Amino acid sequence: MSALEIRNIQKRYGDVETLKGINIALESGEFLVLLGSSGCGKSTLLNIIAGLAEPSGGDILIGERSILGAHPKDRDIAMVFQSYALYPNMSVARNIGFGLEMRKVPTAEREKAVRDTAMLLQIENLLDRKPGQLSGGQRQRVAIGRALVRNPRVFLFDEPLSNLDAKLRMEMRTELKRLHQLLGTTVVYVTHDQIEAMTLATRIAVMRDGRIEQLGTPEEIYDRPATLYVAGFVGSPQMNILDAELTGSGLRIAGEEAFPLPETFRSAVTAGRRVKVGVRPEALRLASADVTGIRLPASIEVMELTGPELVTTARIGEQRITACLPPRTSLMPGSAQVFCFDEAALHLFDAENGRSLLAR
Amino acid sequence: MSGTWISTRAWLLMLPLLVVMIGVIGWPLVDTVRLSFTDAKLVGTTGSFVGVDNYERMLTGSSFQRALVTTTWFAVVSVAAEMVLGVLAALLLNQRFRGRTALRALMILPWALPTVVNATLWRLIYNPEYGALNAALTQLGLIDSYRSWLGEPGSALTALIIADCWKNFPLVALIALAALQAVPRDITAAALVDGAGPFNRFRFVIMPYLAGPLLVALVLRTIEAFKVFDIIWVMTRGGPANSTRTLSILVYQEAFSFQRAGAGASLALIVTLLVTVLAAAYAALLRRAAGAS
Ligand SMILES: Nc1ncnc2c1ncn2[C@@H]1O[C@H](COP(=O)(O)OP(=O)(O)OP(=O)(O)O)[C@@H](O)[C@H]1O
Ligand SMILES: [Mg+2]
Repeated sequence: MSALEIRNIQKRYGDVETLKGINIALESGEFLVLLGSSGCGKSTLLNIIAGLAEPSGGDILIGERSILGAHPKDRDIAMVFQSYALYPNMSVARNIGFGLEMRKVPTAEREKAVRDTAMLLQIENLLDRKPGQLSGGQRQRVAIGRALVRNPRVFLFDEPLSNLDAKLRMEMRTELKRLHQLLGTTVVYVTHDQIEAMTLATRIAVMRDGRIEQLGTPEEIYDRPATLYVAGFVGSPQMNILDAELTGSGLRIAGEEAFPLPETFRSAVTAGRRVKVGVRPEALRLASADVTGIRLPASIEVMELTGPELVTTARIGEQRITACLPPRTSLMPGSAQVFCFDEAALHLFDAENGRSLLAR
Repeated sequence: MSGTWISTRAWLLMLPLLVVMIGVIGWPLVDTVRLSFTDAKLVGTTGSFVGVDNYERMLTGSSFQRALVTTTWFAVVSVAAEMVLGVLAALLLNQRFRGRTALRALMILPWALPTVVNATLWRLIYNPEYGALNAALTQLGLIDSYRSWLGEPGSALTALIIADCWKNFPLVALIALAALQAVPRDITAAALVDGAGPFNRFRFVIMPYLAGPLLVALVLRTIEAFKVFDIIWVMTRGGPANSTRTLSILVYQEAFSFQRAGAGASLALIVTLLVTVLAAAYAALLRRAAGAS
């Protein structure tokens, strides 16, 4: 039984189509991340699920029942906002318990629920404070507590970590993952941060211009991006995209020497077609005599040591390529090197429509 | 030291303004204090020193006491009504609907009118022979015959309060509307998801944002209402049977109608003192509210 089903949801603001038919079905306990750049309609979709906005078409089902037209409070959802949206005049305890208070839960039961939730989030000592007296991370915990305490069927998060500094964001990310593993709740989580998406999600929906570009597990999204857009959006540094041409049964990257096209692509490709080649920076190595694979001669431009790896930028003809090499690699700017990568790491996209040419 | 230099320069820069202030406020105030201890008439005699006679007569006299009650009633009722009306209007105008912008602009109109125009307008509405109020109430069958709303001691003050409210609630509404627009959308959305109904949303979520600005409106309006003069002067001149004689009207009558400058001065100072006490009380209230949030 799906916990949440989004059926062909559309949203129009005047003449502008913000959502163009979104379809997702979520099993209970799934952690769905809506990933996309600013303005692609993530918040709009979340607000429609929450009942804070009405769709122009389509349906939303929670536990097999349509909730369209139902008041937000009757949808069995809880929401965590980017701005935390804590009530500034209420204590932390009252903030967390407000939903229960409004639902007329008896005081004793409510206080116990608030205490338990605070314990889970390690904020028992903050219960008497006002939101103004909390740090960003503490406020975030309170906001999460306010959602947790009601034990709803679906949790909605709208970029909950984007107001935190980098270190705190990582901590809270781990915390969220811990909570999800512990409680097994169903989550819809909006972010434009691909690392958050990769680490938290059981499934990712990459959105673009009001459509779902690809829906899949983090592994699928990372290993088999369906389009150039997804390939470029997920992964850091970005996947290298190089112009290439097909020569009979061979592939010529950036005007270099052609190599035989790997088996997986043979059926999907016709000769003479313009294609784009994708290679993740972390799939590239420096070629030595004994390694096999596809070879790319390049001239080194810049090396940046990030600690765990040496991010190297190089030129191949007119194009740039980035490689993540082991940190102790010794290179000289301007020197000629040969990168190589396994056939399995090769991605091929149609140059016209950007779709992956991987035979499925 | 640079600190001294800066403060010297600050004083120098403020000097022109200080001179003007002392000229138009300070000196008249001092002179009023002097006058209040004399039996000076408006014309003729400059008066001689009579000690606290004026004060004693005023404070124990029935005119003053009655005017104080009238003023307090006027201020409390009209300000309370303005606050309620203003907040309701603001809540309404904060909703999304067609023509909202036009309505917002229209609402300011009464407040933008000069008081004298407003007062004349309401005198026409209340007119015993051809007033719109009489016409409306008769046609609705609520009264049998036309009444003189401003001519009867029983209704004059209420009629004045209504006219004053109509003029001044837009100010409260404007302040409240600005405050409402500062309520973060996420917070009201969170309250919706939390299941708070309209009343609870207003009380627990919106009111905290309104309280501060409304307190300022309350302070402004109470002090103004306590000093009220023009609208009453145009509509009733304190009558009938002194039923709308507020403190400011009384001061005017003492000083100018009865030409008792000394007594008028003492009364004016008493009113000034009362307003100052009010202002100070409010200032303390505001400080406490600021400290609490
Ligand atoms: N009330 C509205 N009226 C008109 N257009 C709107 C409204 N709300 C959103 N939009 C438009 O819909 C599009 C999607 O907005 P949405 O807030 O869902 O984006 P988002 O993906 O959440 O972006 P971000 O990452 O910046 O939060 C935007 O182009 C926005 O301008
Ligand atoms: Mg958004």
